[in-house]
Amino acid sequence: MLPRSEPVRVTIPRIGVDADIVPVATDTSGALEVPPLDHPEIAGWYRRGPTPGEAGNAVLVGHVDSLRGPAVFFDLGRLRPGDAVEVTRADGRVAVFTVDGVGAYPKEHFPTERVYGGGAEARLRLITCGGRFDPRTGSYPDNIVVFATAAR
Amino acid sequence: MKAKTVLGSAAVGVGLGTLLLPAAALADTTVSPATTPVGGTVVLTTTSCNPKAGDALFRVTGPNRDQNVRSTTAAAGGGLSAELFTAGFTLGTYTVTTTCGDGSNGGTASFTVTPIGGAQAGAGGRDGDTGVLVAGGALAAAAVAGGTYVMVRRRRRATAVA
Repeated sequence: MLPRSEPVRVTIPRIGVDADIVPVATDTSGALEVPPLDHPEIAGWYRRGPTPGEAGNAVLVGHVDSLRGPAVFFDLGRLRPGDAVEVTRADGRVAVFTVDGVGAYPKEHFPTERVYGGGAEARLRLITCGGRFDPRTGSYPDNIVVFATAAR
Repeated sequence: MKAKTVLGSAAVGVGLGTLLLPAAALADTTVSPATTPVGGTVVLTTTSCNPKAGDALFRVTGPNRDQNVRSTTAAAGGGLSAELFTAGFTLGTYTVTTTCGDGSNGGTASFTVTPIGGAQAGAGGRDGDTGVLVAGGALAAAAVAGGTYVMVRRRRRATAVA
């Protein structure tokens, strides 16, 4: 278990992710913010929650695509149990997580407790969009969530 | 509808916790659900106060709040409870400290206020690439189920991107 220190970079070798991280909170409607679309290569960290490596669930979010093409978490749904996710923190330490599972959830049935719920272990949740893009609403219907636990 | 779902699942979790940890459930305060999207309702319950001594007072402290909530209901199990609406709450973790009607300690608990629902984390791709990017979105969903189908889509996408 690590002390609190903000994450600065996330690396997921299996899907070729190596991205900077910025802190995010929520938008005016109470939904989780995502990094600005003009920087789709950056991931966001939910700053009201634990930092990666701390006890509890740290949450990272990233776009699946932008108007220009695939974004940072485009291939998140390809992760499999056992895959590694590494998060470099501001204190220079690297928190290493192992994927437990991947889920797809309609946004109206988002698994709030499993994503944000606490606990004694250091866990990581990665979120992006999924499903078939609906041009009428301008959004994807689902969220892809990757569940991971700190490697021992 | 969403709040009901969350309440239901959390209630199951609390129930299991009670079964597994009977000692912890004897004299305490609980919050159900322990995690709520902002604007949701949580139920505060103490099982260590004597209802005959009067209402319990739940003191809720956290990121932007320090308020007292008086119990309104005698719970079926003999405890005292109150509903708390989290509209306007700042995101984060809150502590509930309970004082019984006779001034004795009614236990403590915590709950977390989270963002609402999922994230709008995609823009649908550039017009000319729409087909490719829809495949990517579908890939992510299909990947959950796993199997050969995913492999086929992956190869297709790789070809299209290249």
